[in-house]
Amino acid sequence: MSAKPSAALHVPSEPEGVAQRLHAMMRQRDALRPLFLATWEALSGQFDAAQLETWAGGVLELVNVNAGPACLIAYWEASRNAASTRDIAPLIGAAQIGAEICRHAGAPAATASLNALAAARRSFGGTALARWWRAMEVLAREAPESVLPAAGRMGQILLPGTIEAFEDFIAAGLRSAAGDRNRRLAFFSLQDDLARRMIARDPGGVGFPDIQAELKAFTTALWGELPLLRSMAGDSMDKPQRRSTISGPIIRLPESYRGVQGDAARALFRAATAHAQAHLVLGRARFPIGTLKPLQVALVNLIEDARVETLAMRALPGLRRLWAPYHVAMPGGVATAPVLLARLARALFDPAHIDDDGFVAKGRALFAAALPRIEDSAISREIGTLLGNDLGQMRVQFNARTYVVEPIYRDDGLGLWDFGEDAQPPDDVLDLFIDAMRVESQERADGSDQQTEPDSAEAGIGRGRPVAPDDRGMVIARYPEWDRVHGIERPDWTVVREVAAKTGDPRAIEHALDGAGAVRNRVARLVRGLRIGRTVRLKRQYDGHDLDVDAMLDAGIALRSGQEPDPRVFRSSKSMHRDLSALLLIDISQSTCDRLPSGATVLDIERLAVAVLSEAMDQLGDPFGLLAFASDGREDIRMTSIKGFDEAYDRPCRARLAGLSSGLSTRLGTALRHAGAVMATTSASRKLLIVLTDGEPSDIDMSDPLDLVEDTRRAAVNLHGRGIDAYGVVLGAAGIASAARIFGRGNTMLVHRVEDLPTRLSELYFRLARR
Amino acid sequence: MPLDAYRINSEPYYEPQAAEIDIFTAAYSERLPVMLKGPTGCGKTRFVEHMAWRLGKPLVTVAAHEDMTAADLAGRYLLEPSGTVWHDGPLTQAVRQGGICYLDEIVEARQDTTVVIHPLTDARRILPLEKHNEIVPAHAEFQLTISYNPGYQSAVKDLKESTKQRFVAIDFGYPAPSTESAIIVRESGADSALAALLVRIAERSRNLQGHGLDEGASTRMLIHTGRMVRAGLPLSAAVQAGIVLPITDNPDIRAALTDAIAACVP
Repeated sequence: MSAKPSAALHVPSEPEGVAQRLHAMMRQRDALRPLFLATWEALSGQFDAAQLETWAGGVLELVNVNAGPACLIAYWEASRNAASTRDIAPLIGAAQIGAEICRHAGAPAATASLNALAAARRSFGGTALARWWRAMEVLAREAPESVLPAAGRMGQILLPGTIEAFEDFIAAGLRSAAGDRNRRLAFFSLQDDLARRMIARDPGGVGFPDIQAELKAFTTALWGELPLLRSMAGDSMDKPQRRSTISGPIIRLPESYRGVQGDAARALFRAATAHAQAHLVLGRARFPIGTLKPLQVALVNLIEDARVETLAMRALPGLRRLWAPYHVAMPGGVATAPVLLARLARALFDPAHIDDDGFVAKGRALFAAALPRIEDSAISREIGTLLGNDLGQMRVQFNARTYVVEPIYRDDGLGLWDFGEDAQPPDDVLDLFIDAMRVESQERADGSDQQTEPDSAEAGIGRGRPVAPDDRGMVIARYPEWDRVHGIERPDWTVVREVAAKTGDPRAIEHALDGAGAVRNRVARLVRGLRIGRTVRLKRQYDGHDLDVDAMLDAGIALRSGQEPDPRVFRSSKSMHRDLSALLLIDISQSTCDRLPSGATVLDIERLAVAVLSEAMDQLGDPFGLLAFASDGREDIRMTSIKGFDEAYDRPCRARLAGLSSGLSTRLGTALRHAGAVMATTSASRKLLIVLTDGEPSDIDMSDPLDLVEDTRRAAVNLHGRGIDAYGVVLGAAGIASAARIFGRGNTMLVHRVEDLPTRLSELYFRLARR
Repeated sequence: MPLDAYRINSEPYYEPQAAEIDIFTAAYSERLPVMLKGPTGCGKTRFVEHMAWRLGKPLVTVAAHEDMTAADLAGRYLLEPSGTVWHDGPLTQAVRQGGICYLDEIVEARQDTTVVIHPLTDARRILPLEKHNEIVPAHAEFQLTISYNPGYQSAVKDLKESTKQRFVAIDFGYPAPSTESAIIVRESGADSALAALLVRIAERSRNLQGHGLDEGASTRMLIHTGRMVRAGLPLSAAVQAGIVLPITDNPDIRAALTDAIAACVP
């Protein structure tokens, strides 16, 4: 406090040094001067002369980078807002980083960042705020064009509420774009799915992925039919919470329900799923849309909801407890259409609820009169149309664009309607469902949803929308990837596509096998050794199904010579089941087309080795699969299935093996995760995964190979946790260090001379299979 | 009379589901071996007991287990102070003295064990005791019945084709809801409303069969739950202890099942 009078003394008459220069400068800027003086006034109430001096230095720094008046005003605004704090250092830092951002990304970006500071302050203070600035600076340096859009949406971006989430968000955006300016812009302006998903996930919330398994089991237990549950991304913050939606047999649920956490969120997900599945199980009817008005459509939906729920609660009365908490509409208040609809929904749901409104009462009466025909879905359309006319005549406002179904657990009703084959439904009706349709067309465009959609409503509507053809192969899975730098697992980061195998000439394989007679003979001996001797006889046991004659003789001799006999006089036997399945994961990246001195390529040798081993496994009767992989960035990991576990190892299979060609990169972690998913379907008690690779993981969109090594190591550890033994067979010395890191030293085999691979691979298999 | 200890003196309660009593009676009159298939706790063992009582024959029951060997069924030499003594196994006893031998959950036993019954289940009707150097011809009243739960068999634990094809099969499922609630009322003393509710609850768990549960709640489980309610336990606690907890260890399935059961309760 002692600083206060001295600062006041200097201001504004005789400021010294930097502050003096600043004051002199401001005297010539009529437009800025009042604001500047007001800020100076506010600050000098809090800080001493030395602190003000440094602050003035900060302002001058902004002036020096030509930040422009808007930016200065933004800074002063931010300074005035911070005047109540004791510490001026964050303000100085803000000016410095603001200037830095201005240098990289221009004055508007710096201005927007300073304006966004208010939002950041609301979310966190102290060191977290300093980290926020640092992240902004990184963004300005790496993606100058994205600062402006990101700063403009700071309120939304900071919704998850932690600085870590923000740093992750920035890092993820920079990475996912992989240097592509437009993709960065899309990400930071929240056009991108991943971006929206990252900010939608609030830490205490329960997301669809967390609860999916439970929901599935719950709904199956209720109705005895396995529901097809999907989540829908792309819920934006500025719109009301999306409702679930039914398309054909698929139930789409929001990724999360905003603001609902913990058990409440679980209950809401359950309520929504139970409701949607009740539609599918109890009321499969679809109504032709005809010439219905949007309000009528909404009412038919509402009556059908009530009808289906009534039926459901007859069978399972406890469902009332599940749904009741969401019916909160109360009588009275302004009678707008959405309010009346919500009140009608409650009145139909809960017969004991009292609501004297004429419209609600009429709806109730009509529904009660139709109760004897409750099994017939036609009543929904009849009553809904009638009530829609009534409401229309009451001239209440109804806006199809903003209407959302109440209560929150109910679906949007799209699945109930049949829009016909050709007729384009009226636009105003479409408005009711526009959100749902946008999601569908998006999901189709990125090919992420390969479910066979029925030829229903959305097929008719989707026709007009261009859907980007995807010739990169069918998307079969998405996997997370570990981010080494930030220590988090990025969900759904990589996309695995199934690429149909090209067929080559199986005779090439057969000729190669004929040429490798020595190896084949060795392997054939190993096979014979493994096939016989399946029962092990155990002698001299304490317990067993039979007496061991030798042991009995010994015991008899011992007894007669007055010694204590060995009590182990039984023998037993134990049969050794071979219960093993193996998957061979073959790296076919670009480097496998290197030529060896013999003239063959690495891939040729890999092929031969796989053929030799496959022959042996086939003879042993061990179920095995062959899978080849290559990658072209995280969106395109290509898997080629040469042999599935339940396929026979026949000529077409060898033709596919012969048809393998080299190309692209090695994103091994994702390949391992996929291999794990494939192996999970086999029932063998011992599962063996052998990876054939010629070097360390790499991919075009990853600059630091360590990132992928670490990701792959995690994938391998995870496989181990799932009871799958993963072994790396490395060709050439280059990849041994990283392979040992990934699979562990004991689970890595280095093959120095690539030509030795066929022998070594089979030896490895037999060594492993015997254990 | 031999095997007197194995006779059943009072009528075991059994509610017929279909023609199983007639099938078994016919099979017994021809001394054909019978295979009872069905999930656990649906009344297979009770049925055999009932039939043994009805036919007035002793019933020798052997529960098969993973370590069971042929010697456990046929017999073995035991050491006694005087030397080694042959001791008939349960199967041999039934074969010698006549009666129904019931091998419960036969797939659990090792495959070499099941081969022992082959000569007994075709026209030969003999039991060769290789260790004892004896061939035992089956008594005129001997009959073999096995039970087998196709639900939890894995590829390893399946009956050999050569074993399967020797038997007449009777398929058991969960009884129809009305029959099942009658059984629960009779066995647990619960009232019919509670029994009907328990059957509805069981249906929820049976829906999950193959989608998280290996098998749904058995009739036996429902009877136990009903008895606990009758002993004064509140329904929710009895259902939790009697059905949900025993049936699964998976937390997701457990939560889902608990909620689905709650939806049955008015």
